[in-house]
Amino acid sequence: MANRISVVVSQGQSENPAKRNLEESLITNLMMEPGIDVTVVPHLYDLKPDGTGMLALKGLSGNIVVLSWLFERAAHWTLDRNGIHGQVGQVELKNEAEDQSDPEEDPEADSKTETKERLVDSRVKPNRHIYCLDLRVSNKADDFISEVRRIQKERSVKIVPLGIGSAAPNQDTASSPTDEQLQRYENPTNDTALPLNGNGLQDNPISATNQDQPAMVYRVEEQGGRRWYPVIDYSRCTNCMECIDFCLFGVYGVDKVDSILVEQPDNCRKGCPACSRVCPENAIIFPQHKTPAIAGSPEVGASLKIDLSKLFGAPDDGKSAEEIAALERDEQLMAVGREAVGMKAEPTKRRSNAKPQERDELDSLVDELDDLDL
Amino acid sequence: MNADVFMMGEFEAVIPSDRLYAKNHMWAQQTDKGFRFGFSAYAVRLLQDVYFLDWEIDAPCEISPKQEMGSIESKKAESVIYSPCQGHLEQFNPSLLNDPSAINVDKYGEGWLFELVISNPDFLDAAQYIEHLGNVWQDAQRTIKGQMNQ
Repeated sequence: MANRISVVVSQGQSENPAKRNLEESLITNLMMEPGIDVTVVPHLYDLKPDGTGMLALKGLSGNIVVLSWLFERAAHWTLDRNGIHGQVGQVELKNEAEDQSDPEEDPEADSKTETKERLVDSRVKPNRHIYCLDLRVSNKADDFISEVRRIQKERSVKIVPLGIGSAAPNQDTASSPTDEQLQRYENPTNDTALPLNGNGLQDNPISATNQDQPAMVYRVEEQGGRRWYPVIDYSRCTNCMECIDFCLFGVYGVDKVDSILVEQPDNCRKGCPACSRVCPENAIIFPQHKTPAIAGSPEVGASLKIDLSKLFGAPDDGKSAEEIAALERDEQLMAVGREAVGMKAEPTKRRSNAKPQERDELDSLVDELDDLDL
Repeated sequence: MNADVFMMGEFEAVIPSDRLYAKNHMWAQQTDKGFRFGFSAYAVRLLQDVYFLDWEIDAPCEISPKQEMGSIESKKAESVIYSPCQGHLEQFNPSLLNDPSAINVDKYGEGWLFELVISNPDFLDAAQYIEHLGNVWQDAQRTIKGQMNQ
């Protein structure tokens, strides 16, 4: 049975002893756990697309738990950009802000989520789950170990019955896969589960499927400095192209089916999060930005309240996100000897040409505003 | 009740012409002693479902223009409430304190906010207020949309 689970420990960028201790304590503890393989990589976000770290992660098959010093969304979509796709595994150990959100404001229930087509909807659902845990959530290794155990249990509960292969054709595919799906699970055909070959990593020590085999710890070293580039959350992205229009450094591009992607991440200007501010869906993450909303914090979006004070008579002092973004962009343009463009280079409003969609009841102002021709 | 309509996108904000309006999106209706204030349909539409209303000052008292009077929180938004003009604050609507939902249910009636005695009332009529809305609506959309991304 393929119910061994891979746990990735992505190390912090700093040599902060508290962080290092937590990482090492996690690794030591994970080694004692049956059915777990551990891969230790340098900071996930800094890994080069073709570096040994990312190659090792690409070689992992089956379900993955990722422990990193990043918001869960940031980690998930960083992996996704590197071809490591998976369904978002629901974790129970997470940032508190998320728990405090009003149950009535469940983003899943928000009409906004239902009415708009997200890029992730047009993709084939990956046959594996990726669970991302933010190491900043707790300073106790035990908390993470028990969550890993919980996830391992969750996955094996769902996987064990598959071995029987008695799924009725009419049954819900989410709970009972067909034989064909089962086969694909055992022998994945997608690019997310390719075994490693070449690149000095002949043997992939973590593709073992024997439940009883003792834990393997695989440490990947990779040299390289810190990186800075946007990460797109495709569960939010609507492919509106505001970002590609706004960025004047050629970071964004489109793939063969005209879906937006971060084509030239290293063209991105260090410290500049401007495109994230112009994204109408908050889909662009800069995992290292100091503002949690830009770094991929979970509470952004449906539960974040809009401050209407300015509209209700507050003195006008602040700048809009677009103004800030334009200033940030100018700063970067001038830094490379180009001319500042200010607000003049407003994104062309491609969405205004989009075919009108049928509107739901007017229960969400934000929804509506996004569809107006601003 | 005679009323005009201001279109907020596809939403019809009804602006009754039986009362006056302040630029901070409150209606003002003359009473025996002074004026009674409440949120206009435009303001309520921006706020949507009001969850919480809190006053930071005690009535009666003197208030100055744009003074912070309290705060309001709704499902989607929050805001400080600023005074619409100079005046003497007589009372807050007592029935809103425990349950502010009347602001949504009956904004031009039971959902009134407070009463002021004003020496020099200077408000807009419905037509002028709608013209004002025409001027600020674009900006309001930009502000809201911008904040979504901050």
